[in-house]
Amino acid sequence: MRWFISIRYLLAHMRQSLVCVAGVTISVMMFIVMDAMMQGFTDKFIIETVESSGHITVHDEPRETRTRILEQAYRDPNAVLVVEGVKPRDQVKKIKNPTGLVATIRRMPGIAAAAPQVTGDAIATYGTKTINLSMYGVDPDQITAVTTIGDQMISGDFKRLKTAADGVILGRGVSDVLGAHLGDNITLASSTGGRAVCKVVGIFQTGVTPVDYSRGYMLLQNAQTLLDKKNIVNEIVIRTDDYTKARDLAGQIESICGYKTESWQEANENFLKIFRIQTIITYFITGALLVVAAFGVLNILIMAVLERVNDIAILKSFGFSRNDITQIYVLQGLVIGLIGSAIGLGIGKLAVEGLRRLPIQMEGLVKVEGLLMSEHASQYIQAFIGAMLVTLLASVYPARRAAKYDPVEVIRGAH
Amino acid sequence: MAPIDTTTRRGDREPSDSVAGSVSVVPKPAAEPLGSRARREPLVRAQNVHRILGAGEMATHILKGVSLSIEAREYVSIVGASGSGKSTLLYLLGGLDRPTHQDEEGTRFDPASRVFIDGEDTTGLSDGQLAYLRNEKVGFVFQFHYLLKEFTAQENVALPMLKLGKIGHDEAMDRAAELLKSLGLGDKIRRRANRLSGGEQQRVAVARALANKPAVLLADEPTGNLDKRNAEVVAEIFNNLASQGQALVMVTHDQALAARARRIIQMEDGNIVSDTTQA
Repeated sequence: MRWFISIRYLLAHMRQSLVCVAGVTISVMMFIVMDAMMQGFTDKFIIETVESSGHITVHDEPRETRTRILEQAYRDPNAVLVVEGVKPRDQVKKIKNPTGLVATIRRMPGIAAAAPQVTGDAIATYGTKTINLSMYGVDPDQITAVTTIGDQMISGDFKRLKTAADGVILGRGVSDVLGAHLGDNITLASSTGGRAVCKVVGIFQTGVTPVDYSRGYMLLQNAQTLLDKKNIVNEIVIRTDDYTKARDLAGQIESICGYKTESWQEANENFLKIFRIQTIITYFITGALLVVAAFGVLNILIMAVLERVNDIAILKSFGFSRNDITQIYVLQGLVIGLIGSAIGLGIGKLAVEGLRRLPIQMEGLVKVEGLLMSEHASQYIQAFIGAMLVTLLASVYPARRAAKYDPVEVIRGAH
Repeated sequence: MAPIDTTTRRGDREPSDSVAGSVSVVPKPAAEPLGSRARREPLVRAQNVHRILGAGEMATHILKGVSLSIEAREYVSIVGASGSGKSTLLYLLGGLDRPTHQDEEGTRFDPASRVFIDGEDTTGLSDGQLAYLRNEKVGFVFQFHYLLKEFTAQENVALPMLKLGKIGHDEAMDRAAELLKSLGLGDKIRRRANRLSGGEQQRVAVARALANKPAVLLADEPTGNLDKRNAEVVAEIFNNLASQGQALVMVTHDQALAARARRIIQMEDGNIVSDTTQA
């Protein structure tokens, strides 16, 4: 009965109703498209970063467990303790017994693989071109089990590090800057004076610009020599069964090994913050669109109420209660929301598929060949619920206003 | 014009308890046993009804303690000058408005200001309960027809039945069509309300008021907006309804129309000044 009247009222103002529906449709569609785009970009960055750099990294920084001697002597937490003329001990930073630690980590539940590596800064020179590099000394078999770097080779083969003497694998950005290609010899120099002429045996591309423009891989022993870190392992890279659980596992590993252990979330905290801000902006923009649509619904329903004061009076005279009148107008909002959302979801889906197929090359934080669209059922559910909530809220005020009309006053001509 | 089915439904009473007669569309109920009415409450009863509009210095005392009873089958006219409180009384009798219970100083009226519809005190009823009572037992006809213009004549008439929910959609539409035919609108059933003439619209409004076979039909200046010919048609419909036993209370300025009722109540300044029943 109430549905019957609501639908008829909406159909009576078809044009205005369609405008309202269009408003909701556009808002829902925009939310889906923008969220899919943002999520796609975030997912790409996270997955590529995580997969190319490991889920967890154990660093060579021991966790401070001992209380300093001065603090033992002066236990007042508010005391300022100053020691002058201290000469720092010349300490070599490294992970002790890396082989044993790697074995221990591999036995932990939730851990898929672990690989030792040595890292350090170097300068690569090819002809007149130079570039700063982060050199990674790795065991090719182990590192390819931990990361997907082996699958991200665009030329050469990661395993060739084992067979080629002084082989080096460069990121695509590094190779582009240097102008060095497969088979070219480049010179690597470390800050500690180490120097090596290496042959480019492979070029990789993760799609994550900071990685592709700064990273190079060498055999572990060669890197140790170059970086003057003989027999030293300063990082252990770990792959977990589920990368979303990396933070918890990192905590467990840190408590076992006593070294600073970083999950990919901690390592990329700044980027993740940016993505969170991006998500908030997306919600804000689409929320603003929804609010505009809601004002459209509010406006048309207020107009509908004002136009139908006599109808409200007569409906009340033959048995409609305030609650019935409220429902008639709320149902109109509901219908606008339902139709607008349904069309918006459909068009949103089509737009996502269409944009995904657009060949747009972009290189920023990540390098992509097209727009990255990531869809989840939750996006569609959120868009639907949001649109329904907003349109329902927008219809409450006109509905309550309609319900408040006193039929006697209306019939007497007071309205 | 075909006879109109106005068989009154009074709640869920037995058919023998019906208060109004019927005509050919629905079989006429058994005749009421002599004296049974005396044991029942009047159809509509106003007890010391007051109505004050506004508050403070703006307060206007429209009705000043009106008491009256309307019995089944009665045809009553309420007449009086503008502002005498006729329409206000009518709205109160039909549960469209509620009486005021205390005077401007806050003193409760004694006896309490109350309206009973079919024996039910409307004072304590919620908005929903009162709306249901109006839907089931009261039919209103106003000076202006107030039809829902997006709906056909048939749908307008069917709406109160659909709201009451005692019959299905198809049955309601059929009964609406019958009512419209009986009022001479058989060829306008599916016409949108705003495509009908003034007189036709008012007849649709009468049909709508009769849709749920109300215990009482309340009409507020039903011919006030019509030309002479259409006014006569509506007056004739009312006469027919009254002759078929439909309880009818009509507020009018039209002395000739008022004179058709058996009982004429004269109002002045919020009070009943005369209440006469013609032989």
